[in-house]
Order: sequence, then structure tokens, then C-alpha cells
Amino acid sequence: MGALQLVHDVIDSQLVDRHQEKIGRVDELLLELEAGKPPRVATIVIGGGARARRVGRWMHACHRAVHALFGQRVEHESRVPFDAVRCIADTIELDVEGDALDSMHVEHWLATHVIGRIPGASGERK
Amino acid sequence: MKKWGELALGVVTSIGGFLEVGSIATSAQGGAEFGYQLAWVLLLGTLSLAILMEMTGRLAAVSKRTYADLLRERFGYRFFVLPLVAVFVVSLLVLTSEVGGVSIALQMATGVDFRWWAIPTVLVGWFLLWRGNFSVVEQGTAMLGLVAISFAVGALVLHPTWPTLGRALLPSLPAHDRARYWYLAISMLGASISPYLYLFYSAGAIEDDWTIEHLGVNRITAGLGNVFGGGLAIAALVTAALVLAPRGIKVDRYEQIALVLATPLGRAGFVLFIMTLFITCFGSTLEIVLAIAYLLAQGFGWSWSENLKPGKDARFSTSYTVLILLAALPIVAGMDPLSLTNISMVVTAASLPVTVIPLFVLMNDGDILNTHVNGWASNLALVVIALFSLALLVAALPLQLLGGG
Repeated sequence: MGALQLVHDVIDSQLVDRHQEKIGRVDELLLELEAGKPPRVATIVIGGGARARRVGRWMHACHRAVHALFGQRVEHESRVPFDAVRCIADTIELDVEGDALDSMHVEHWLATHVIGRIPGASGERK
Repeated sequence: MKKWGELALGVVTSIGGFLEVGSIATSAQGGAEFGYQLAWVLLLGTLSLAILMEMTGRLAAVSKRTYADLLRERFGYRFFVLPLVAVFVVSLLVLTSEVGGVSIALQMATGVDFRWWAIPTVLVGWFLLWRGNFSVVEQGTAMLGLVAISFAVGALVLHPTWPTLGRALLPSLPAHDRARYWYLAISMLGASISPYLYLFYSAGAIEDDWTIEHLGVNRITAGLGNVFGGGLAIAALVTAALVLAPRGIKVDRYEQIALVLATPLGRAGFVLFIMTLFITCFGSTLEIVLAIAYLLAQGFGWSWSENLKPGKDARFSTSYTVLILLAALPIVAGMDPLSLTNISMVVTAASLPVTVIPLFVLMNDGDILNTHVNGWASNLALVVIALFSLALLVAALPLQLLGGG
């Protein structure tokens, strides 16, 4: 059993989904605390809010102000259970469908409403 | 055989990528005001850039991750915000200067005011990014960028005094206008060593699927390419020293720089100058806008590649689309491209510590580089670069106030 350094090997690592598509980075890790049980690493958080909180309160305030500016009330953030981790190497593979993640909201919105409307956007490789 | 092809291409890329609006403008100003005396700054800048490019290239080839990836992963998001914001702001300024350079070249070619050219320039640039893949951007601009060799031809035709030039490769103190001398030195360093250059280079290593087998190619590309590129910047300085300085012309408009080629090469020289300014600035525009989009995408973990259709990496392609359009605005508003360039180069120089110092940590991390970590000589060189980058940070603002304009 190899040991895993959470800060060194997990936090800020590139995440990929089960199709090896990049889906963001580990912005925050949450421990689960239950009475009578030892704490365990339970959740990977992907999202701008979590990221901003790590920098400081002022950054989080900026983040919320930008959201308010664009009229977004809900925070599009994904919380993926740590059980979904399949492989930890150069990237961390999660057994999830990237397209189903809430944190991919901006990517999808831009793909359908902006980029997708310009000719030549669809397809795989150039 | 394929490898030699890649090698030749890599070398050509760095020659073509080296000279751009900042190098042309600041080298010409340096030559016009101080003759050969500032040549040592270009040598120092070129050597530093070669070292930084070799290291970021090695980092990418061994770890399969870009420099921006590792800045976020190893230093955490909290620290990453610093290089992210610094490089973003600085590169956007330089990007605007490049769009200005293209616009000025078109004004010189057509007589139509440069402000009209900013929007067409960025639209064509955007179209190439949208349709073209990484090789188109990298190789296309590199091949066309070879027109910059006309500076070397111009310098040779003017018969420089070699011993004097040779002596100027060692630092010396100015006899007059000390503040202006050091201000120009900082601008020239900022023009030689731009963070976008090595961020683009390390992302390019991933785009081109580099592995440990490319370490030799990397070393030669970074070394030889920069020797040629730096040589061209010195040639620009030499032409300015021999054409502008004797006539007492201080460069305050781009049109004056055209004389450095028009004097030795006649009408052809004038045309070559316009072509060089146009192509090198246009190429840099594409590379910088990609470098910023790479930085954002890699830092936040988005899908990115210039080889993917835009729909596959919507946040990445939206980034370059918005950025390139944004860069046209100050030029449309009539900001003077040369002043903009000068300011951008000084700010670039001041921004270097935040990307140079972390590199020292990464290049000595055995978890990332295994046996390919820095040796003592590379470390010594990097420490020297880091120290003078700190000096640039401290000196930039006072010198901008004392020696700028």
C-alpha cells in the first residue's frame, strides 16, 4: 500500500473523466466527519467558489460579485465522491461522465450559445 | 530523419519567433541613442531566454505537463493566482503592442491610418486560430518570419566595426544620460525575455507530443534558435547605430525605424522593413493570444488544444476569441503603438520574478524530473537570472519615471 500525500498528489491535480476528457482541477478536498467514525476523505470539489475561498475572503467576495454581475444566482460546483477516483497518476481519473457535471456548466453554455454558433466549431480534430 | 526535420523546424521557429515589435523597437532605440554600447543587454537577454526555454521544454518533455500546469499543481492555487494575474496583464499589453505593430506596418504600406487596421488584423488572426492547428500557427509564422534576416543583411551591408561591436558585448557604463541608458536596457531585456515565450514553448512541447527522446531537440532548438534570434536583434541594434545615431535621430515613431533598412538596401529595404514588422508582429500576436489562453486553460484544468475543433474546448477557444478582440481596442482608440510597446516591455521585465523563481523549485524536483533535474551549472545560471529579474522588478518603476519618453 503506497501512501498518498493529499496536498502534494491530489489538491490542484488535473481531473479527467472516464473518457479521459479534462474536467477541471481538484479545487478543494472535504473530509467527512461522522459521530463514532474516523474522519475520511470523502469529496472532491470542482468550482470557482471553492477555488476563490482558498485565496481569501476578498477573492471569494470578488467571485460572488462577478457572478452577481452576470446574473447567476446558483453556484455551479461539482462535488464528486472520492470513491469515484479510478487512477492517480499525472492526472486523476474519475469514474464520472464529464458532461453530467455541474461545474462544466460554463463550458457547455459557451459550446452551445457562443462557439457552436460560429461555423467550423464542430468535429474532433482540426 | 523525421527528427532532423523537427530540429530544423524548431530552430527556424525560435528565429522567427524571437524578433517582434518589442525587440525591433527597443533595439532600434538603443542603437540610435547609444550606438553599439547596449549590445551586451541583447546577449544577456538571449542567453537567459535560451536557458529558460530549455528548462521549460525539458520540464514538459519529461513530465508531460506544461509549466503552467506545474505552477498550479506544485505551488497550489493560492500562489498560482500571482503568476496568473501578472502574466495575463503583461501579455495582454504586449499583445496590444503587436497588434499596433501590424497596424503600423499596414499604415506604412498603404497610407491608411493605423487605427483602421487593428480590427481587420485581429479578425484575420482570429480566423487562423479558429481554423488552423498548432503546426499552422507555429510553422507558418516561423517560415514567413525568416524575412527578419533582412536586418542581418542590412547590418552586413553597412560594414560594422567588429572590434567595437565585440567590446560592446561586455557591459559598460554610459558616458551620458544614465537613466535613459538603464531604462533602455530594461526595455530591451523585457523585449528579449517575455514570459509568453516560454509558456508558449512548453505548451507547444505538449501539443507536439514531446517525450524524453526530444530532450536533444529541445536543447538545440532553445540554444541555436535563440543564438540566431538574438543575432537578429543585435543586427537591428547595429543598423540603428550606423544609420540613426550619426544623423542624431531618436526613435519616437515606427516610421523612423524603416530608415535602418532603407538606407543600406534602398527601396527594397523599405519594403523588407514593412514585411518584417508585419509578419513578426502578426506571428507574435497569434503566439501571445494562444499563450494566454493556454495559461487560463491549464491553470483551471479546462480542455485545451489548438489541434482540437473549437467546440471540443469551448472555454479555451472563447478565451482566445475574446482576448484577440480586446487587444484591438486600444489601437482603435488611437493609443500610440510605440509608447505602448515601450511601456509593455518595461512591465514585462518587472513581471519576470514570478515566473522565473518558481522554475528553480520545479527544476530541482526529482518527483517531476527524475534524473533530468538541473545540474549545478543550470542552477547557477537560473539563480543569476532570478537575481537580475528581481533587480528589474525593483528598478522598473523608477527608471520608467526617470528615463522613459
